[in-house]
Amino acid sequence: MSNKRSVDPCVDQLVPIANKEGIETVWDRYEAMKPQCGFGQLGVCCRICWKGPCRIDPFGNGPQRGVCGADAHTIVARNLIRMIAAGAAAHSEHGRHVALTLLAAGEGHAPAYRIKDEQKLRSIAEKLNLEPAGKDLKQLAKEVALASLEDFSRQERTTPCSWAKETMTTERVDKLCKLRVMPHNIDAVVTEIMGRTHVGCDADAVNVMLGGLKGALADYTGMYLSTELSDVIFGTPEPVVTAANLGVLKENAVNIAVHGHNPLLSEIVCDVALKMNEEAKKAGAEDGINIVGICCTGNEVMMRRGIPLASNYLSQELAIITGAVDAMVVDVQCIMPSISKISECFHTEVITTLNENKITGATHIEFHEDTALDSAKKIVELAIDAFKRRDNSRVNIPSYKQTAITGFSAEAIISALSKLDANDPLKPLIDNIVNGNIQGIALFAGCNNPQTTQDNSFITIAKELAKNNVLILATGCGAGAFAKNGLMTQEATVAYAGDSLKAVLTAIGEAAGLNGPMPLVLHMGSCVDNTRAVKVAVAVADKLGVDLDKLPLVASAPEAMAEKAVAIGTWAVALGLPTHIGVVPQVLGSSVVAEFLTEKAKDLVGGYFIVETDPKKAAEKLIAVIKQRREGLGI
Amino acid sequence: MERIKENYFIYADPTKCLGCKSCELACAVAHADSDLLTAVAQGVRLQPRNSVVQSNNLIMPIQCRQCEDAPCALACPTGAIYQEEGMVKINEKSCVGCKVCVMVCPFGAITVTADEAENGSSRTKKGKARKCDLCYSRMKDNKELSCACVEACPTKAIMLVDIESYRKKLLEARAKEAVQAYKHI
Ligand code: SF4
Ligand code: SF4
Ligand code: SF4
Ligand code: SF4
Repeated sequence: MSNKRSVDPCVDQLVPIANKEGIETVWDRYEAMKPQCGFGQLGVCCRICWKGPCRIDPFGNGPQRGVCGADAHTIVARNLIRMIAAGAAAHSEHGRHVALTLLAAGEGHAPAYRIKDEQKLRSIAEKLNLEPAGKDLKQLAKEVALASLEDFSRQERTTPCSWAKETMTTERVDKLCKLRVMPHNIDAVVTEIMGRTHVGCDADAVNVMLGGLKGALADYTGMYLSTELSDVIFGTPEPVVTAANLGVLKENAVNIAVHGHNPLLSEIVCDVALKMNEEAKKAGAEDGINIVGICCTGNEVMMRRGIPLASNYLSQELAIITGAVDAMVVDVQCIMPSISKISECFHTEVITTLNENKITGATHIEFHEDTALDSAKKIVELAIDAFKRRDNSRVNIPSYKQTAITGFSAEAIISALSKLDANDPLKPLIDNIVNGNIQGIALFAGCNNPQTTQDNSFITIAKELAKNNVLILATGCGAGAFAKNGLMTQEATVAYAGDSLKAVLTAIGEAAGLNGPMPLVLHMGSCVDNTRAVKVAVAVADKLGVDLDKLPLVASAPEAMAEKAVAIGTWAVALGLPTHIGVVPQVLGSSVVAEFLTEKAKDLVGGYFIVETDPKKAAEKLIAVIKQRREGLGI
Repeated sequence: MERIKENYFIYADPTKCLGCKSCELACAVAHADSDLLTAVAQGVRLQPRNSVVQSNNLIMPIQCRQCEDAPCALACPTGAIYQEEGMVKINEKSCVGCKVCVMVCPFGAITVTADEAENGSSRTKKGKARKCDLCYSRMKDNKELSCACVEACPTKAIMLVDIESYRKKLLEARAKEAVQAYKHI
């Protein structure tokens, strides 16, 4: 392999063990897949109708149009926006699930769930213009849930989704409405994309791409409500000190890994596990039950409960290869189907929990909101049972783990800032941006991709930006990368932040009672939580009276791979952010689409994509963009 | 004396190859006496005689170069591989699966794989050497070679090369360059 697999030391330790035992990991499968088909990489392979597959010769010698006459531009654009639709569908299904649970909690049908953050519920009700004053909590929960569900069902095409309209700057809302890309109904927009990309429909690449922007904004809507309503049910995250990487597994405990994206399940598993600690001890596990997280389910419970994170996306299989995971409980998204195959080589129980997401070979335990406690109990029992079968001679827990301070929701950041200025918490942040102590803000998001060295791009770019006094936020597996590699610590701030950034982070940290600086990278949650960063950005923009596309804000998904990431990246662009991606996207087969994403989008919405696979150069480009934006603001 | 024509061979242009493996699939089907869908439906094992290989960032289909002094033909103890009609031919029936050819081919162009159609006994795993035969079996009535891989390549990255016409083109191109250079003297 030309690339090193990962900068995570656990990978170097466990992959040779897997090799020796003949267990295939994601890196082996990636190698075996090479060469990967160039038509697919360029996005010029069309399988939308059954006259195909058709593919366009990018060198111009072979066919230039599919059987129906679609050219490379049409094909690439259609393929891309179908990815956006899938991403939006994934996020909004998650959102719908949370909204329905809130409704059930309001109606009293979901005994495992309650309203943990009343204040947040009231402020959401206000945002959604529901006049919360004097209403009782359950009533309000119902109203908020129903108003959110209306964003999935509204038929009036000219009324934008409430969660989109009420969470952006007014200027942005106007601009997006004028472009006709503001969603009115999440489900309808996803359906619309499937419809307009059917054979023989929308064939103008630019028009197709506008459909993609709309899809991405539907994704934004679904994500936003998903995060906010989860906070209502499970509490808004606050800073918490925890740990990350596979060293968080414990030899003398029943290790349960919660994996996927949905807190509705993992939270209850955590609740129940706490109560079953004694049973685990009776089974011989001196340290009781040890819950660890993987991917974004991991981020959810890490933020809210301080549960340690075992791994991010690419090293999920290695958790099982440690031989110490007794159960891996999975819900939705980013779960490698290979884990059930690998678990056959160990005692590990892989447990699927949703009827729409099963994996052959895994144990399925159905999970519903109304009977959540029973299912959680069954899951924990299975884990304890599996523990009894564990073969200790095959346990290889790497000793690597890093401290990580996580839990920086928008509310937590504002509250930390309010320690500096209680009346006007945003003022210290804005002052420091204006005076240049903080040059800009970068949001890192997204996945891992075996086409790059795991975590390396995140770490390299972040260190470079921090040195140049850029404040760094992170979510998703990007956040996992920073946590595992020690960048969510106070020590990292001391080691890597530029002088003025260091001074600001120290002032806030000291005021917030951290006895030192804030961590170098602020963990804002799972990948569905990217809207938390938008919340801060919109507050700053509103206060300054400028739109988001004027602020020195950038986003980066240097190791992206999921359809969800395509959707997130595209809404970041639609909100006006220059957005870096570090893996070449499957669009280069069309100059029109590539130009739309990197150039034309700039004229339409202010944001645009920057594609740069070299992390050093990517950092330079992001810093240049931040400088440019500062000049635009005259600061 | 009759002039002996040099061997044809398959030439691939790595700058045009996109690694889609259509050529592998086409080759395998061409040697399966079947079409793709039937072969897959019937569970016939498809065995390409070429292989698309990635090395760093270069992608290149590799198949038999039809060497003049072919090491495989020299090494084969049973004479299964031999020169005829400007091709390094292989008679799979005579192959005993000793893999000497695999070892001596400087391009890694030969594999030995099992032939399920073969009626084996407990003595054998039915292994037979596989190499590009320029689709000899598909040769048209007019004795023209019709290589499945060449026909299948969507970017025209591979072609059947007749060394004489190839050289002629090469000479013309080089001459053009020389003429250019001459102008500046
Ligand atoms: S069919 Fe052509 S482009 Fe595809 S792998 Fe073969 S030579 Fe390369
Ligand atoms: S198989 Fe190898 S050695 Fe034999 S003719 Fe082909 S390239 Fe030459
Ligand atoms: S494997 Fe078959 S073709 Fe190759 S050298 Fe041995 S007998 Fe000859
Ligand atoms: S010429 Fe025929 S036998 Fe040789 S690689 Fe191409 S398809 Fe296979």
